[in-house]
Amino acid sequence: MEQFVTLTVNGVILGSVFAAFALTLVLIFRATRIINFGQGAMAMFSGFLALRTIEATGSWWLGLLVAIVSGFVIGALVERVIVRPVESGPEINAVIVTLGVFVGFVALAGILFGNQFRGFPGAFSLQGFDLVAITPNDLFKLGAVVVALLVLVVLFQLTSLGLQMRAAAFGQEVARLLGVRVSNMLTLGWALAGAFGALAGVLIASGSPISPNYMDAVVVFGFVAAVLGGLDSFVGAVVGGLVLGLTSTYVSGYVSSALPTLAALAILVVVLLVRPGGLFSSSVARKV
Amino acid sequence: MLEVKDLTATYGPVTALDGVSLSVPQGRITAVLGANGAGKTTLLRTISGLVRPKSGSIALEGQDITRTPVETMVRRGMAHVPEGRGVIAELTVEENLRLGRMFRGGKDEAQDLEEVYRLFPPLDSRRKRSAHTLSGGERQMLVVGRALLSKPKVLLLDEPSLGLAPLVVAQIFSLVRELVDTTGLAVLLVEQNAKSALSIADTGVVLNLGKVVATDDAQRLAQDEQLRHAYLGF
Repeated sequence: MEQFVTLTVNGVILGSVFAAFALTLVLIFRATRIINFGQGAMAMFSGFLALRTIEATGSWWLGLLVAIVSGFVIGALVERVIVRPVESGPEINAVIVTLGVFVGFVALAGILFGNQFRGFPGAFSLQGFDLVAITPNDLFKLGAVVVALLVLVVLFQLTSLGLQMRAAAFGQEVARLLGVRVSNMLTLGWALAGAFGALAGVLIASGSPISPNYMDAVVVFGFVAAVLGGLDSFVGAVVGGLVLGLTSTYVSGYVSSALPTLAALAILVVVLLVRPGGLFSSSVARKV
Repeated sequence: MLEVKDLTATYGPVTALDGVSLSVPQGRITAVLGANGAGKTTLLRTISGLVRPKSGSIALEGQDITRTPVETMVRRGMAHVPEGRGVIAELTVEENLRLGRMFRGGKDEAQDLEEVYRLFPPLDSRRKRSAHTLSGGERQMLVVGRALLSKPKVLLLDEPSLGLAPLVVAQIFSLVRELVDTTGLAVLLVEQNAKSALSIADTGVVLNLGKVVATDDAQRLAQDEQLRHAYLGF
């Protein structure tokens, strides 16, 4: 029983970070109908910038701030400079370009920060509590994702900017006719995804060693979580993230620590067979 | 109010508009009629900036808007209701309406929205419902209401009667007529349903294969049997 509780709590925490990462893929997919395979590498790069800042200033929080701001800027730049020029071509072009972004950022990080593992300090203590095997640092991760989610919900549901972003995502041409500057909204979508991804990157890094490939596993889980949720649903991404987080800890706790990735792919296959649109796909006929 | 001169637009090798000229005066409805593929929709899309014209000019209140980006049209007082309803189905009725007045509306959002709900009572009870739950007629009310919220000087309406019951069409047309008469709005109406369109329009313009073949008073056009048989199908 104790093991079950521990695994569940850890699963939720891990799942929340997967959810955060899945959300970045959803943000971008909703805005531009592109799967950004470079998202994990962009987040990793921001993670390294955070580590550098922490090493230089000793402030973990300044590092987090630098990561989020750099993520926002990197997201916007990648959309404007790299993705925008190929967007008018066939969809596959943009997808291949995002693979290039992935390779580019991993290589750049290798050059700038080195390829060896480096310790990333935790935000809070890494010492576990007496009753369950979780740490204050873990609880902080969960809290940070919840706060970030709330910010996202408020932005999208309650502000005029959020309404414009949703309009741009769901009805580009109509939105333009109504005066929404759609191209700015798309850039903003990428920028937000960059910032959110950077947060996920720092949370994953927090309290463990990182190398330029440290986000790769998260990309797999985050991607499966996003597809599970239907790729254009925020709720779906969160639920998908939690399902993946729990699966991952249960499988590694009860079966074998070598199997979580395989389990994730098995879930993906089953969901795509049963509900090809994802669990939360909004099957609204899109007639504009 | 709106002046279109010698407008030509092409899709690759196909000429969709071939030297189209027309004008839409304040407080008047100009109906553009013609068969499928005559270039009616392209005409509206070119005027609002969704399609770049090859040559010709468009002026709104005497100011050239030929190459003005589509996003700024609303701010200049032009509202375009596209073909096929143009609701954003994933948003609620109220969110659709809020978008309409976001860039150019009155001071009081709540009051502006109430005005639309008063004009279109069926929308009132569905404020928080997602727009995809609306019927065809309600969707048309929503997009017309949304367009009016931007306080346009010129309203471009693309096939508002498409797929609607005759009674609903009559309702929407008479409402548009009333608005034109009371507020001085200028309307450019594109319709395949020539008979109903001419019954509310002041001027009719008949398009065929991208060219204007007739421009005349709406009443006279409706009585011109030869033209009716050749181009209007009634």
